[in-house]
Amino acid sequence: MRELIGGGGYVILVYFLALNSFYALLLILSIPEIWEQTRLAEDDDFQRLMQSDALPPISLLVPAYNERATIEASVTAILTLEYRNFEVIVVNDGSKDDTLDRLREAFDLYEVPRTYPEGIATRPLRGVYRSRSRTRLVVLDKENGGKADSLNAAINASRFPLVIAVDADTLIEPDALLRLTRPFLLGRHIAAVGGTVRVANSCTVEHGRVTDARVPRRFLPGVQVVEYLRAFLFGRLGWNRLGGNLIISGAFGLFRKEDVLAIHGYRTASVVEDLDLVVRLHRYLLQRRVRYEMPFIPDPVAWTEVPESGKVLARQRERWHRGLLAAMWTYKTMLFNPRYGRVGLIAVPFYTFGEALAPLVEVLGYVITVAGLALGVVNVGFALLFMLVAWGYGMLLSLWAVVLEEASFRRYRRLGDLLRLVAFATLENFGYRQRTVWWRLKAFFTVWRYQHVWGEMTRTGFEAAGGAKARRADAQG
Amino acid sequence: MTGRHFLAVVAVAQGALLVALIILIILNRWFRLRRRARVHPRVVRLNSAMQRWALGSTDLGSVLVHLGRLPIPLAVDALVSWSARVPGDRWRQLATALRGHWWARIVRSNAVSGRWWKRLEAARFFAVAATPEDTSSVLKLLHDANPAVHIAAVATLERVESAALTTAALERLPRLAPTVGAYYAGMLRRSRPVVVQLLLKMLQRSDDPALPRLAEFAGRLNEPALREALTALGAHPDPEVRVQAARGVGAFPHPASIAILTRLVRDEAWAVRAQAVRSLGMIADRATLPLVRAALRDPEWWVRIRAALALTRFGGVGRDALLQDEHGPDQSARDMARLVLGLSPQALAEYAA
Repeated sequence: MRELIGGGGYVILVYFLALNSFYALLLILSIPEIWEQTRLAEDDDFQRLMQSDALPPISLLVPAYNERATIEASVTAILTLEYRNFEVIVVNDGSKDDTLDRLREAFDLYEVPRTYPEGIATRPLRGVYRSRSRTRLVVLDKENGGKADSLNAAINASRFPLVIAVDADTLIEPDALLRLTRPFLLGRHIAAVGGTVRVANSCTVEHGRVTDARVPRRFLPGVQVVEYLRAFLFGRLGWNRLGGNLIISGAFGLFRKEDVLAIHGYRTASVVEDLDLVVRLHRYLLQRRVRYEMPFIPDPVAWTEVPESGKVLARQRERWHRGLLAAMWTYKTMLFNPRYGRVGLIAVPFYTFGEALAPLVEVLGYVITVAGLALGVVNVGFALLFMLVAWGYGMLLSLWAVVLEEASFRRYRRLGDLLRLVAFATLENFGYRQRTVWWRLKAFFTVWRYQHVWGEMTRTGFEAAGGAKARRADAQG
Repeated sequence: MTGRHFLAVVAVAQGALLVALIILIILNRWFRLRRRARVHPRVVRLNSAMQRWALGSTDLGSVLVHLGRLPIPLAVDALVSWSARVPGDRWRQLATALRGHWWARIVRSNAVSGRWWKRLEAARFFAVAATPEDTSSVLKLLHDANPAVHIAAVATLERVESAALTTAALERLPRLAPTVGAYYAGMLRRSRPVVVQLLLKMLQRSDDPALPRLAEFAGRLNEPALREALTALGAHPDPEVRVQAARGVGAFPHPASIAILTRLVRDEAWAVRAQAVRSLGMIADRATLPLVRAALRDPEWWVRIRAALALTRFGGVGRDALLQDEHGPDQSARDMARLVLGLSPQALAEYAA
C-alpha cells in the first residue's frame, strides 16, 4: 500500500510538473503574440482596409429555440453591426413558443421559395422568410433537430464564403466582425478564426450593446471573468504560436464555408458541436496536407452571460467537459499521430491528458495525499507546501491574464473593477477551483449517457439598467 | 537540497512574483493614467493648430511644432486622421514641409528597420505624407513580407503618382490573398491610365498562372480599352480565365462581346456557362434571348438560376419567356421559372447582384 501511494504520488508530481511547464510555455508564447495583435488592432490602415469593399461577405448564423424573450433585441443588435456586406440567417428550430411570430411581426417577414441546394442533410424545412424592413435578414423555420442541425440548415441557406455562428443571447461588439476578418487579410488559407468572449454580467447593456464593462461583485460570475480572461488572453494566444488552437468558441467563431461544407457541417450527435467541428476541420485539412491557419485574435469581442448560480454553472461545466471527453475519445486516432503534425503531437495530447483527464488526476492527488498522511507516508509539511505551490501557480496564471488584459485592451476602466479582478484571480484557487474539478469529474460518469439537445432556456432579456439580467439555464445534456 | 527545501524556495519565489505582479498591475494603470494626462493636452493643441491651419488662420510652422511635441506613433496617427480632412493642395504643402523635419526623418529611416512595427509606422507615414522623392523607400515597403506593412504602403498610390509604384503593386496583385488583392485593386483604380497600359501587356501572357486574377481585375475596371483583350481571353484553355473573360465583357454591349458570350454559353465548364449567361442578361440583346432561355434547361442548377435571373433583365419579353417556361414541358426549367417569378423585386435585385 505504501509503495502504491508513493508511486502514485510520484506520477502525480511528474504530471503536475509537466502540465505546469506547458502552461508556463503558453504564458511565454502569449507575450509576443499579444504584442503583435495589439499593434495590428490599433493600425488605422487596417481599419480602413477593413471598412473598404474589399472585405469578404459574411453570413451570420443564428440558431434559435424558444427565444421569444430575447430574439427581437438580439437580431436587431446583430443587424446593426458595422460591416459592409453580411446577411443574417436566423433558424427557428421548431420552437415551442412564439419565436417565429415575434420575428414575423418585428421584421415584417414574407415567405419566399427555397432558392439554394441542400448541401448538408437536415431536419425538414417548413419555410424560408425574408424581411421587408431588413433586406439582410433571412429566417428559416424548420422542424426541431438541435443546435447543430439548425446551424447546418443555416449553412445551406447562406450565400457567402465566410460563416459565423452566433448564439442568440450573445452581444457582439459593433466592430467585432471587421476585426475578426483581419487574419483573412494576413494569411493565405485561414480555415477559421476565433474572437474573445467576455462576461456580460453586471455590464451596462443599451440597445443590445455593452456600453460599460464592469466586473461583477458576486463571486461566481466575478471569478468567471478571470477564467475567461485566462482562457482567451493567454491560453489561446499561446496556442496560436503552437499552431494548434483546438477550441474556437461556438458563440463567436468565423469559418470558411467551403471547409465546413467539405466536412458536412456540424455533427448533430456531438455533445459540444463547436469543439467537434474544429477538431474535424483540423483532421480534414491535415489529411489533405493543406497549409492552413486557425488563429485566435483577441480584439474582436462578444459578450455573453455566465451562470450566476452554482447549480447552473455545475451543469454547464459538466456538459463542456463531457463534450471534451467525447471529442477526445472520438478522435483518439489523432493522439500522438505524426500525420496530424503539431495538432496530433501537441494539441490533442495536451487536451487529452492536460485538460480532459486533469480532474481525475487532481482528485487522485487529493486522495493519495489524504491516504499518505493517514498512513504516515507523506509528511504533513511537505503536503502543505506542495498544495501551497500548486495553488500559488494557479494564482500566478490568473494574475498573468489580468496583466495581459491591462497591458493590451483595458476594458475595465474603473480602479474598483481592476482590484476586483485581482481579488478574484487570487481567491479562485480556494474553493472555486475544487468545485469545478468536482463538476468536471461528474462528466466521466455521464459521458456515455447523453447526446446533445437544446437545453431549457429561461430568459428575461438584456436590460439597460442594472446590467445583463438574463438568467440562463445552460443546455441540459 | 531536499524536496521540501526545493518546494519552500519555489513557494517563496512564487509569493514574491505574485506580489510583483500585483504591484505591476497597479503601477501600469497609474503610469498609463499619468501618461495620458501628459500627452492628451498636446494632442488637443495639435488638433487645434491643424484646424486653424486647414482654415488658413495660422501658418504651417505652428502645426510642425505641435507635431514634433508628440511621441512619434501619436504624431503619425494624427497625420493619418487629418489627411482625410485637409484639402489636397494644402496637404501637399505639409508633406513637403515635413521632408526636412527632424522627426519625419526618423520615421523615414524606419522604412529599413528590422522591426516590422517600425516599418509599419514608416509605411503609414508614407501613405499620407510621401513625396515623389520617397518612391524608392515606398517600393521597398511594397515588397515587404509583412502584409500589414505592404497594405499600408500601397495606400501611397492615393497621394503619389508614380509608374514604378503602380507597376510594383500591379505585379504583386495576382499573388495576394483575395481580400488584400481587392484592396490593392481599389488603390490601383486611381492610377487608371498607367494600369490600363500595363494590363494590356500582361493580358497577352497566355501562360502566366496569374492570368485569371489579372483578367478579373481587368474586368472590374470596366475600361473600354481593355474590351478587346478580354474578348480574346474567351478562347483561353483555362476555364477560370474564360470565367473572368465572360464576366468582363458583360460590361460592354458590343457585337464582339455578344459573339464570344454566345460561344461561352455552350462552354463545357458550368462556371463559364453561368457567367456567360449572366453577362448576356446584362447586355440584354434580344437576339440572344433564345440562348438564355435554352440555358434554363442546363443540367447545372447555378446556370439555370443565372439564366432565369438574366431573363428578368430582358424586360417584358424575358418575363413572358419565364411565364411560358413556368408551364412548359421541362421540369427543371419549370421549377426555376416558378422560383424566380415568385421572388419579390427586392429579393430579385439581391440575387441578381
